[in-house]
Amino acid sequence: MNGLALFWRRYRRNRGAVAGAATLALVVVAALVGPLLYPVDPFDMVGRPSQPPFGRFPLGTDVAGRDVLAGILNGARISLVIGILASLAATLLGVLVGAIAGYYGGRIDDMLMRVTEFFLTIPSFVLAVVVVAIFQPTVMTVTCAIAIVSWPSVARLARGEFIAQRDREYVKGCRAIGMPDWEIILLQIMPNALPPVIVVSSLMVATAILTESGLSFLGLGDPNLVSWGYMIGVARTVLRTAWWMAAIPGAMILVTVLAINLVGEGLNDALNPKLRRR
Amino acid sequence: MRQASLLFLVRRLVQVVPVVLAIAAVNFFLLRMAPGDVADILAGQMGHATLEFTQQLRREFGLDQPVYMQFFYYIGKLLTLDLGRSHLQQAPVIDLILDRLPATVILMLTSILIAIAVGIVLGVAAARREGRLADTLVSVTALVVYATPAFWLGLMLIVLFSIQLDLLPSGGMYQIGAGRTGLAHALDVAKHLVLPSVTLGLFYVAIYTRLMRASMLEVYGLEFITTARAKGLSETTIAWTHALRNALLPVVTLAGVQFGHLLGGSILVETVFAWPGLGRLVFDALLQRDLNLLLGILFVSSVVVVFANLAVDLIYGLLDPRIVHK
Amino acid sequence: MKASTIFTMAAAALIAAAPLAGAGAQAPKKGGTLTYTYQPEPTAISTLATTAVPVALISTKIYDGLLEYAGPGLDPKPGLAESWTVSPDNLSYSFKLRQGVKWHDGKPLTSADVKFSIETLALNYHSRGKTYFGNVTAIETPDDRSVVVKLKAPVPYFLKAFQPSETPIMPKHAFSEQEIAEKKVRQAKVMQEPVGTGPFKMKEWKKGSHIILERNADYWKPGLPYLDQVVLRVLPDGAARAIAVEKGEVDLAPMTALPPAEIQRLGKLPSLVSSQAGSEGLGPIMWLETNLREKPLADLAVRQAISLAIDRDKLVDVIWYGMGKPARGPIVSGNPNHFNAALPKLEYNPAKANKLLDDAGYKRGPDGVRFKLPQNFLPYGEEWVRQAEYIKQELGKIGIQADIESLDMGGWLKKVFTDWTYQITSDFHHNYVDPTIGVQRAFLSTNIQKGATFNNSMGYVNPKLDELLQKAAATPDGPERKKLWDDAQKIMQDDLPVIYLIEIGYTHIWNKRVKGLITNGISMYSNWDSVWLE
Repeated sequence: MNGLALFWRRYRRNRGAVAGAATLALVVVAALVGPLLYPVDPFDMVGRPSQPPFGRFPLGTDVAGRDVLAGILNGARISLVIGILASLAATLLGVLVGAIAGYYGGRIDDMLMRVTEFFLTIPSFVLAVVVVAIFQPTVMTVTCAIAIVSWPSVARLARGEFIAQRDREYVKGCRAIGMPDWEIILLQIMPNALPPVIVVSSLMVATAILTESGLSFLGLGDPNLVSWGYMIGVARTVLRTAWWMAAIPGAMILVTVLAINLVGEGLNDALNPKLRRR
Repeated sequence: MRQASLLFLVRRLVQVVPVVLAIAAVNFFLLRMAPGDVADILAGQMGHATLEFTQQLRREFGLDQPVYMQFFYYIGKLLTLDLGRSHLQQAPVIDLILDRLPATVILMLTSILIAIAVGIVLGVAAARREGRLADTLVSVTALVVYATPAFWLGLMLIVLFSIQLDLLPSGGMYQIGAGRTGLAHALDVAKHLVLPSVTLGLFYVAIYTRLMRASMLEVYGLEFITTARAKGLSETTIAWTHALRNALLPVVTLAGVQFGHLLGGSILVETVFAWPGLGRLVFDALLQRDLNLLLGILFVSSVVVVFANLAVDLIYGLLDPRIVHK
Repeated sequence: MKASTIFTMAAAALIAAAPLAGAGAQAPKKGGTLTYTYQPEPTAISTLATTAVPVALISTKIYDGLLEYAGPGLDPKPGLAESWTVSPDNLSYSFKLRQGVKWHDGKPLTSADVKFSIETLALNYHSRGKTYFGNVTAIETPDDRSVVVKLKAPVPYFLKAFQPSETPIMPKHAFSEQEIAEKKVRQAKVMQEPVGTGPFKMKEWKKGSHIILERNADYWKPGLPYLDQVVLRVLPDGAARAIAVEKGEVDLAPMTALPPAEIQRLGKLPSLVSSQAGSEGLGPIMWLETNLREKPLADLAVRQAISLAIDRDKLVDVIWYGMGKPARGPIVSGNPNHFNAALPKLEYNPAKANKLLDDAGYKRGPDGVRFKLPQNFLPYGEEWVRQAEYIKQELGKIGIQADIESLDMGGWLKKVFTDWTYQITSDFHHNYVDPTIGVQRAFLSTNIQKGATFNNSMGYVNPKLDELLQKAAATPDGPERKKLWDDAQKIMQDDLPVIYLIEIGYTHIWNKRVKGLITNGISMYSNWDSVWLE
C-alpha cells in the first residue's frame, strides 16, 4: 500500500503523465462501453456516402455510407487490443531471451544476441509487412507480426539488467544455497530488472498502435474488423472532397499514442526515479 | 590509432559477410512460405491460362526445381554479387534496384538531414532554457509529433499545402514531360521533395530533439562545463562547442539506426506521395511474388544497415577518443 | 485459291474515315503530347510477356496487329494486311501485306515476321494463343508479302484474333535463335526496348516514373499519327492520379485508372469527359464464384437466396459510384452480337431469400446464423474490399455469416484455382470480342482443371450446356450461332453456377482537348494514330 502511495506521489508530479492517464482512461472507456451505448454496426450502410460530420451522423459517413462514429468506437477496441497484446507478447519474448542471454552469458548470450541483431537489421516495418502479407491478415497475424518486430529492443534492455544483477551478492547467495536457475531468474532477479522493462513495454503499446495503423492503411488489416488505420485508408480515396474523413481517425491515433507516451514517461518517473527523463 | 581502426574495419567486414548471408537465407525461406508464385501471378494477369501454360512459366523461371536447389542456385549467384532476374519485370534485379535507389536515397538523406539539423537546434535551444516556456513548447511539440502517424501526417500536409493552398505538388518526383534540365530540374525535384521529406523527417525531428535535449542536460551536469564556465567562456560558446560535441554521441547512434528504419517508413511515405523509390517497389514486389526482386531489395537494404552501423562505430571513435576498438 | 470475299481498299477506307469526319467536326491538328496515367506500371512492352492492362495499353501504340477494327463489335478492316480472302470452307485465310512497311529500326516487314509472330510467339506465349491458333495446321509464306493460314476446323472468330493486343506482329530479327530454342522469349531485349511498326516508338523509359513514346516519322499511314508524343506517367497513388488529371497535368486516365470516387467527382467537371464507351470488345463482367463442391453451395436454393439478397443497383451506385450496371448473365449487355436480351433481370428480394432458405431447411441458430460461408475477394483494390464488406452485411441479413478472408493476388489465385478451397469469392472476367473466347472457359466442364487460372473453378458440370457451347464454337457467326448462345445464357442464368453481380464498366476520363479517342470496342488498345489535341 505504502509502495503504491509512493508510486502515485511520484507519478502525480508529472502533470503531463496525469493528463495522459486521464485521456487514456477516456479512450479505454470509449472502447469498452462505446459500442454498447452507440450500437451501430460499423460495416452497415446507414446513409448517403461521404456526409460531413455534425449532420445526421455525429461524425458523418464514409465512402460506403457507413457511420464514422461507430467505426471510431469499434476501432478503439481493435487498436488497443492489438497494441496491448502485441506489446505483451513482445515483452514476454524479449524478457525471456534477454534474461537467458544476460544470466548465462557466454556462448548462449552470443547466439541469442546474433539472432536479436538479425531482427534489428531488417527494417522492422518491412518485416511486419512481409509477415502479414505471407500469412494473410487477421488480428492474430497482425499482433504476431508486430510482436516479432518489437521484441529485440526489450531483449537488449532485459539482457543489460540481468548482466548488471547476475553477480550481485544476493544472486550469489541464492546460487550458494542451490536454488535452481529458473527460480533465481524469475523470482529473484526479475523483480529488480522489471521496472525499466515496464516503462519500455508501455511505450511499445504506442509504437504497436502506430504500426498497426500503418499496416491497415496499406490494406494489411483484418478485413472483418474496423481499425483506425483502416478508416484512414478508406478515406484516402476521397481526400480531396472529404479530408475530415481521414482527419478524424488519424487524430484519434495521435491522441491515444500521445496519451500512452505520457503515461510511459510518468511510469518512468515513478519507477526509475534515478533515471529521470532519459 | 589509424592502423587499429583499419584492422577493426577489416575484422568487422569479415564478420558482416555471414550475417548478410544468413539474412538472405532466412528471407529466402520466409518468402517461399507465401502462397502462390510469380507464375500464378503472370498467368493471372493474362486472364485465362491453362495449367500447361503456367507450368511452362515455372520451367522458364526455374521454379520447377526443388526448393533447396533453387536456394543453392540463389546463394551461389549471390556470392558472385548477382541478384538474379525479376521474372515479372523481365529485367535484372540490380537494374531495377539501381533505377529506384537514387530516389530513395535523396528522400532518406534529405529527411535525415532535416531531422538532425532541426533536432539539434531545437534540442540545444530547449536544454539551454530548461524549464522555461521555450523548453516546454519544444518538448510538447516534440511529444505530439512523435505520436503522429507519418502517413497520416503526409495526407494532412497534402490537404493543406496541395489541395487548399495549392503551393506544393502532391506527388511524384518531378513534373514529367516538362523537359526541364539542370538547375530548373533540380528546383523542380526540390519542390516535389518538400512534403515527403518533411513527413518522413518530422517523426525523427521529435526523437532527435528529445534526445539532444536530454543529452545536453546530462553534459551540462559534467565537471568540464563548470570548468569552462569558470574560465569565463560565453554560454553560447560552451553550448555549441564543448557541450555539443559530447552530447552528439547518442544522436550519431540513432542516425545509424534510423538509416535502416527509413526504408520501412518510406514504404508508407512513398505510397502516400507516389515517390518512385525502393519502399514502394518492396511492397509491389511482395504482392506480385516477385521474389528475386524482393530478396534483392532486402539484401541491399540489410547491407546498407550493416554498413551504416559500421560507419556509426567509426564516427563514434572520432567523436569520442576515449573509445578504443577492441 | 478461290476467293469468296474480297475487301476492297476503298470501302474500308471510307469506314475508317467516317468517325473522324463527322458533321461539324474540326480538322485534326498535328503535334502535341498526350499524357496518360495508369497503375501499375507495365512490366514489359509486349503483350507476349503479359497481357496485363498496363502492358496492353502501351504496347498497342508500338506494335500493329495484322488487321485493324471498327465499331463496338470489332469489324475487321485492313491494317498491316491491306487485303485478305477466306476460302468457302473457312479453312484457309490468305493475307496480303502492305508494301513498304518498315520496323522502327528501319528493316522491312515481311511475311516471315507475321508467320513468326503467330506460330512461334502468339501460339506459345500468349495465354489465348491456343484459343485463336490451336486449329492452325500450317502457315505458308509464298512470297514476302503473302501469308496463308490453314486451319483443320473453322474458327468463327478467327479474323478477330489479329488485334494488336492479342496477336502483335513482332520483328523476327529481334529474337536470337537461342532465346527461341530455350523458350526465353520473355527475356529478349525487345520486350523492354520494343521495335514495332506502329505509329509511336519508344524514346525513354524511366522505371517508376514515366515512359515516353515519340512519333514514328516513317509510319505507313501517310500524315499520321497526329501526336508528337504519348507519355505514360506512373503515379501509384489513386488520389495523386486524380489530382494530376484535374490539374490538366495528365490528359487521360483510361480503363478506370482513377479511384471510382474520383471518377464520379471529376466526371462532372466541365474540362473533362468521362465515358464508358469503347470497351465493348473486352466485355468486363463481375460475379461471385461459388464452390459447388461445398455442401450448402451445391444447393441451388442457397445460390438463389444469395442472388436475391444482393441489391445490385445499390452495389453499382454506392460501392462502384455508378460505374456499370446490374448483370443478367455471363455475357455483357453491351455485346451487340451475342447478348440474349430476353434474359430477365436478377431480382433483389431478401424476404424471398429468407423464405427459400427456411423452406430448404437451413434453420437459424440462436445467434441468427444459418451457416457460415467464408468469403474471399479478388484483390484488385479498395472497391473490391468494400464490395466484400457489403456482401457480408447483406448475407448476414438472411442468416449467412460470410466472414471475409483477405488474400493478396498470389494467395487468392492459389486458393481459388489451384486448391479449390474457397467457398465464395468475387471474380472478374473479360468476355472479349467473342463468348467462345471469353465466356465458355468458365462454364465448360472440360475447363475444370486445377492450376489453370480464370477457368471453371466452381466444378460446374451441365452436359446440355457443354453441348451447346461446343456447337457454338464451331458454328460461323450468324443467327444459328446466336440461338445457341441464347439458349446457353438461359441455362447459365437458371443454374446460377456463379452469382452474376454487375457489368462493371471501364471508365475513361480525358481532358476535353483530346479528340478522336473512342473509335471501336477496344479503343484503349488501339494505336491512337488519329488521336489529336486541340
